[in-house]
Amino acid sequence: MNPVLAQGLLDVDFGLVIWVAITFALFMFLLTKFAWKPILKALDDREKAIKDSLEDAEKAKSEAEQISTENEKALKEIEAISHKIRKEAQEEADKIRADRLEKAKADSELLLEQTRIAIEQEKKQAMSELREEVSRLAVEAASRILNEEIDEKRAKSIVDRFIKDINGVR
Amino acid sequence: MKFFLIGILYTLLLLTGFVNESKAGEAEENRVDLIGKVVDHYYLDFKPAGTIELPRIIYDRGSFHFYASTTRLINKSEHFTDAHYFGSTDMQEGNLKPSSYIIVRTEDGTAPQLDLSITSHLVFFWLAGALVFIIFIPLSRKYQAGTGSETEPKGALQNMFEVLVLFIRDEIALQNIGPKKYLFFTPYLLTVFFFILFMNFFGLMPWGVSSTADISVTAVLALFTFLATQIFASKDHWKHIFWFPGVPVPIKFMLMPVELMGLLTKPFALCIRLFANMASGKILIFSILGTIFIFSDLFGPGVAYGTSWIWVLLTLFVYLIKALVSFIQAYVFTILSALFIGLAVADHSEEHAH
Repeated sequence: MNPVLAQGLLDVDFGLVIWVAITFALFMFLLTKFAWKPILKALDDREKAIKDSLEDAEKAKSEAEQISTENEKALKEIEAISHKIRKEAQEEADKIRADRLEKAKADSELLLEQTRIAIEQEKKQAMSELREEVSRLAVEAASRILNEEIDEKRAKSIVDRFIKDINGVR
Repeated sequence: MKFFLIGILYTLLLLTGFVNESKAGEAEENRVDLIGKVVDHYYLDFKPAGTIELPRIIYDRGSFHFYASTTRLINKSEHFTDAHYFGSTDMQEGNLKPSSYIIVRTEDGTAPQLDLSITSHLVFFWLAGALVFIIFIPLSRKYQAGTGSETEPKGALQNMFEVLVLFIRDEIALQNIGPKKYLFFTPYLLTVFFFILFMNFFGLMPWGVSSTADISVTAVLALFTFLATQIFASKDHWKHIFWFPGVPVPIKFMLMPVELMGLLTKPFALCIRLFANMASGKILIFSILGTIFIFSDLFGPGVAYGTSWIWVLLTLFVYLIKALVSFIQAYVFTILSALFIGLAVADHSEEHAH
């Protein structure tokens, strides 16, 4: 037998097939149990962790954004409120000032009026006093002139009437 | 001009060297057995340092017979002998060397029932397996300790193999099998990929043998893929084979043998593709190097030496191609396995409404 041709390329060695089949199955079982499963699990865990942390970051970012928009909104509200308050205060102040001004005006007018009335009364009183004085003087003058005792009372009434007439003319 | 000078120089060298060799007259002994370099052996070849004979395990007539080596078997066994020595008279000498390595029964010269001997391809298959273990068991420890699962992968080894593992999981298993079942088959695909890859790489090493250049080994690997497709096949898979949906009844009968044949050609193609690619690479390298000696015979030693640089460079090129092919074939086997598994386990009742 020619040793070169003892084994061809395409010969199937059943002993080898059995060995390879058994050992490959065994290797696969052991590798799956002790290498592939832990490695795949670790990779899966890592991917999950990365995914989770990315999601968390996204969530935190959106939360931060939300908070920031809320802050902005609150700031705007506060600004609006402060603006309103300022405006109200301004209005109030204006109103108060106007009121005061008006009241002061009214007071001054009232004072003026009262003064005028007082002056008028003073004047009236002065006038009446003057009239009385004038009438007394007139009566005295007349009595002296006449030297005659006329009824003082009657003369006085005549003078009063006369003064009244003067008043009425005036 | 330069090469011509080199050619002349080589011729001068050869006039001293080759003459000596022809004086020795051992051309027959030095002849390289090309196919012998590719096929399986019952010894590990470390020429010129020598060979290591592997244990022989023979099952015959209900009992196992163990021998530490073929030499021991031939000299010690009463039951078996080398086919070369069967019937010869000087059998009792006890100092025989194995010749054909084919074991036959002493009594009638027929083969024993089953030869379970350890062969060189089996040894390198185991070496590839051991390498997978040596690399991935510590790596999985590392992952379990937290490096890579909680932190980033550290170190060249972990990074390098993680890329491959992720590639097989995401690009091969997930793409071909689908998100529902891919994780179940990923360990198988990983095992197949790294076994084939390391077996191919052993073929690139000096004195190394690539077990994938053996049809028995690739046949077993293909058989595993075939079994995976058949055991985990969906109902649709069987329906498509025996009663193809959506075609007239006569066509259904015609398609049945075609589909059955397709069932068997898939693993057969897997087996042949890997085997042929790996075996041809080695044969090609020997053939190209052999061209030098053929030229020496045809045109004289001067031409052979003068042109040898072409063949050496070409061999280097083929060697690099082989390194590439080692990867490609491991990838192709894995992706086709994934594809066939994916086809078999898929529930494609609604997709195939034709």
